[in-house]
Amino acid sequence: MKTMVRRMSSMLSRLFLCTLVVVMPALVQAQSADDGQPVRALTTSSSGALLVLRDSGLFAIEGQTATEVPLPPSNPGAQPASLANGADASIYLAGPGLGVWRYDSTSKRWQSLNDTLPDLGVTAIAAHATQPETLYAYLGKDGMFRSRDGGAEWVKVDSGPREPVQAFLHSDMPGSMESGWLFAGTTRGVARSMDCFCFWGDAGDLRGTVSAISYDPAAPENIYAVVEGQIHHSADGGETWTNLAVPQPVTALAFSPAQGLVAGTENGALLARGDAGEWTPVHE
Amino acid sequence: MPVATLVNGRLSMNKGIYLLALLVAPVLADASGGAASANSAPPDVAQGRQIYEQYCTACHGWQAEGAANWQKLDEKGEMPPPPHDETGHTWRHSDAMLFRMIAEGWRYPFNKSDRLTMPAFGESLTDQEIAAVVEYLKTLWTEEQREYQATESQ
Repeated sequence: MKTMVRRMSSMLSRLFLCTLVVVMPALVQAQSADDGQPVRALTTSSSGALLVLRDSGLFAIEGQTATEVPLPPSNPGAQPASLANGADASIYLAGPGLGVWRYDSTSKRWQSLNDTLPDLGVTAIAAHATQPETLYAYLGKDGMFRSRDGGAEWVKVDSGPREPVQAFLHSDMPGSMESGWLFAGTTRGVARSMDCFCFWGDAGDLRGTVSAISYDPAAPENIYAVVEGQIHHSADGGETWTNLAVPQPVTALAFSPAQGLVAGTENGALLARGDAGEWTPVHE
Repeated sequence: MPVATLVNGRLSMNKGIYLLALLVAPVLADASGGAASANSAPPDVAQGRQIYEQYCTACHGWQAEGAANWQKLDEKGEMPPPPHDETGHTWRHSDAMLFRMIAEGWRYPFNKSDRLTMPAFGESLTDQEIAAVVEYLKTLWTEEQREYQATESQ
């Protein structure tokens, strides 16, 4: 009798283990895709995947599949905070204590772009809308830096807006004296400058700490900025802003070619905005 | 009288010396039988200054000081003329961009009208004259700004 019980117990243990082996990856994927942690930053990859930065890591989400992308090696205390998608679809990751890194999708490794930055205190990064080699990094202590050779050499171009920059983007919206515009989310609102860095001015009357900013590359006058969890939309290059209703406080934004405006929320959800203004989960 | 004040009350010493060379250069050139001295300013700078004084001072000022509060939009929603000296942003633009702005003008995209913010001078000035103005503007910047602008022009 004891032998039978032991055999039964052993079989059940094996069955449980087998079940675990089969089910665990799916559980891990499901947890990674939407694990309730706030979305820190968002961007898209060349394949159309959404890249989602959470405290638990970086994930590429395509359809129902979420794949973890290992973060670059960094010192303890480094805070990945900002993602950008270059004109050649390169992915950039930056943050305080981390500096700037580019992901090589062929070798699946991160390449440090920090050799000529004065320090690693990068709070936000942007990639030029049309020039693949041009990048912008905002360092909390040192101001605005630009690289025109893919991050090999960084040059300080400006002190940046008066208030510290939390997020920023480059857009090829027409009308610049140079090749485009920079929109910076600061603690005061959105600041705007032509990419000659001629001077920074307020983009409209939107006030508050801007935690995320994005724009529609197909219609670059359309800018979206998050203030205290609410999305504000400008259809005229930042002159005037209107509030967009959102079901949850928003923490990150991206513009996906396939899904349009995508919002990452405080609760970890990823929502895409439909033509009628409705929000639906991106993986449904 | 200090050199910088002689030329421009707001100019730096470097710029004052540069402009002093500009004033003295023709005298030196005459003294050497008309040949340009090794220390003289580039030949088109004097011409550029003359053209600047004729066409640009009405908006940008005799001292290239620009409009007061040039960083704030005026009552028409227009961007006032910026200074061209070291306090402005002219030095941030490449030669090609400066040439284009003088020749074709430029409209502040948020001025809610079709009018040009900076008028076009392509019909009034030859290419050589526009290039001379650009050369003159470079005399109004610091050495670091000239270096930055030279890099932008590459």
